[in-house]
Amino acid sequence: MPGKKSRVRNSDQWVLLAPESAIDAPEKIDSGPVFTKLRNPKTGSAALYLFSSDCNQVYEVKAFDEDYHSWFIGQSVQRDGRLLFVTPLDPLFLVLPYLINASEKQGKFEPADQVIKDEEFPRCASVLKCPRTLQSLHHITDEKEMGDRKFYKYNREKTLVWLKKKVEQTVKALKSTGLSVGAGIQSSMLIRSKQVTEATEEDYLRYAHGLLSDYIPMGLSVELFKFLELPAISTNATLNEPPSKKRKLSDKPVEAEEDYTKFNSDSKEKKPTKMTAAQKSLSKVDKSGMKNISAFFTSKNKGTTKTP
Amino acid sequence: MDLSEWRRDPGSSCRLSSAVAAACRREPCSLGVDEAGRGPVLGPMVYAICFCPLSKQQQLEELKVADSKTLTEKEREKLFAKLDEAKDFIGWALEVLSPNIISTSMQQRTKCNLNTLSHDAAIGLIQYALDSGVQVKEVYVDTVGPAEKYEAKLKERFPELEVTVRAKADSLFPIVSAASICAKVARDHAIQSWKFVEDLEDISPDYGSGYPNDPKTKEWMESHVDPIFGYPQFVRFSWSTAQTILDNRAVPVHWDDDEEDGNKDNTPSVLTYFQRKTEDPKVQPHRFFTERKLVSLVNL
Repeated sequence: MPGKKSRVRNSDQWVLLAPESAIDAPEKIDSGPVFTKLRNPKTGSAALYLFSSDCNQVYEVKAFDEDYHSWFIGQSVQRDGRLLFVTPLDPLFLVLPYLINASEKQGKFEPADQVIKDEEFPRCASVLKCPRTLQSLHHITDEKEMGDRKFYKYNREKTLVWLKKKVEQTVKALKSTGLSVGAGIQSSMLIRSKQVTEATEEDYLRYAHGLLSDYIPMGLSVELFKFLELPAISTNATLNEPPSKKRKLSDKPVEAEEDYTKFNSDSKEKKPTKMTAAQKSLSKVDKSGMKNISAFFTSKNKGTTKTP
Repeated sequence: MDLSEWRRDPGSSCRLSSAVAAACRREPCSLGVDEAGRGPVLGPMVYAICFCPLSKQQQLEELKVADSKTLTEKEREKLFAKLDEAKDFIGWALEVLSPNIISTSMQQRTKCNLNTLSHDAAIGLIQYALDSGVQVKEVYVDTVGPAEKYEAKLKERFPELEVTVRAKADSLFPIVSAASICAKVARDHAIQSWKFVEDLEDISPDYGSGYPNDPKTKEWMESHVDPIFGYPQFVRFSWSTAQTILDNRAVPVHWDDDEEDGNKDNTPSVLTYFQRKTEDPKVQPHRFFTERKLVSLVNL
């Protein structure tokens, strides 16, 4: 976060929550669970993932990270109060950006190991070792078999249908956990006896779409939004931006869009109003030799300054 | 004086009291309040009340109780024994506030200063006497902070009592002197037999008077700082002496209500509102993650 003191992150121990499947002992030596940097499908930059032994499954790694936290671990103190979560990830999310790129460049059927290639992140090829990856690749690609080799090509329509299913699954999960998805922000720390506002189906869809968008490239997120036929929120854009000042440049005089004064007086002529006793006595004061107050605010340039 | 109940849990506060004499329930009484161990950075603070019927003032004076500060430890012990023997007309009650209670009260989120803590202890003891059926009529208190304010506070709390708050009350009113002896004796006992709850190997008991201006006390504190935990519970953490040594010798610890690094960091500069947002807001993680303080990791 910006403006924050950079904290030292030299952790020599970390606290981690992982399913047992992620840390199972390997069948062969040297194929145990391993942390790996891969390309984050949304941002395109590096992020941390974990392959379980023999690359059976891929997990994403997220950390609960809040200021002013530390751990007491056994007889030691860990200044880094983070809690790491290792949670299973659908490997298709990781291969999706590569398939989209390939289809934009080449647009032809290719073997999977030629598409899932990255000089910066060579370990991304390991995603293909997950049994699940090749089995489910048909959700997002067209396949062709030639001899004993399989060739794949990104299919946009299939992908959107697949993602829509994901959205629906997410909605189901959101509903079962009783998560607050409405527009109003509610504290997730408080347990309410009853839901304050009933979240609409659209709220759920929108939330699920947002959640899923953290796992797919941004362009695809926009396409999915249209595919789900969600109405765009028009106010969002104007809320974030301050009103532009360009209006001054136009020649037209600025006028109020509505004339509010017309409701205040029913006749156009001003009736002479009755004066109070104080006002009456003031009006009788001799004002000769006195300047009108507005005279003090007019520009004095006219007579006083001499041009050289 | 039997402090064994408090010794079982010296991190807490504890009330000790004598039996209430029948005379005190029958006749109007005067009650004195005094404290011991307000200034030291080490050990508990003890509050004490003493009460006796107004008709027995003469007998109380005959015991020659005097301001505890003018007496040696031995004389105090003797006088306390005398007071305890006169249980047919004198009663007392104590509140031992452990250093731990003082530290936590003064350093909690809603700070409670030592004066408030003292006033509350005094009020609690007066209320205890009333609850035990003592016919309290007059209350004499040695002041803590400005006497007028304290007196007004006590009068508001106990409108039916005649409250006198006075500086040096312990040398003016025998009943306050008696209370001061009870308090001082209890504090001496508590300190002499202090059991460190922490598992500390050969901690030196040679800490001097316990007052922050005592060089011996300061030396003891400087040599007993743990870089992580600071001090044993025997030390009042809220004392500036303790704080200064912690700042210099222990690991810095940041709390989210720390003024110096809290406010500055959390309040964004006004200028940030006028800056063009360089980062696309869409790159921000979904609120599911931000609300739960979940972040992606790049490195372990």
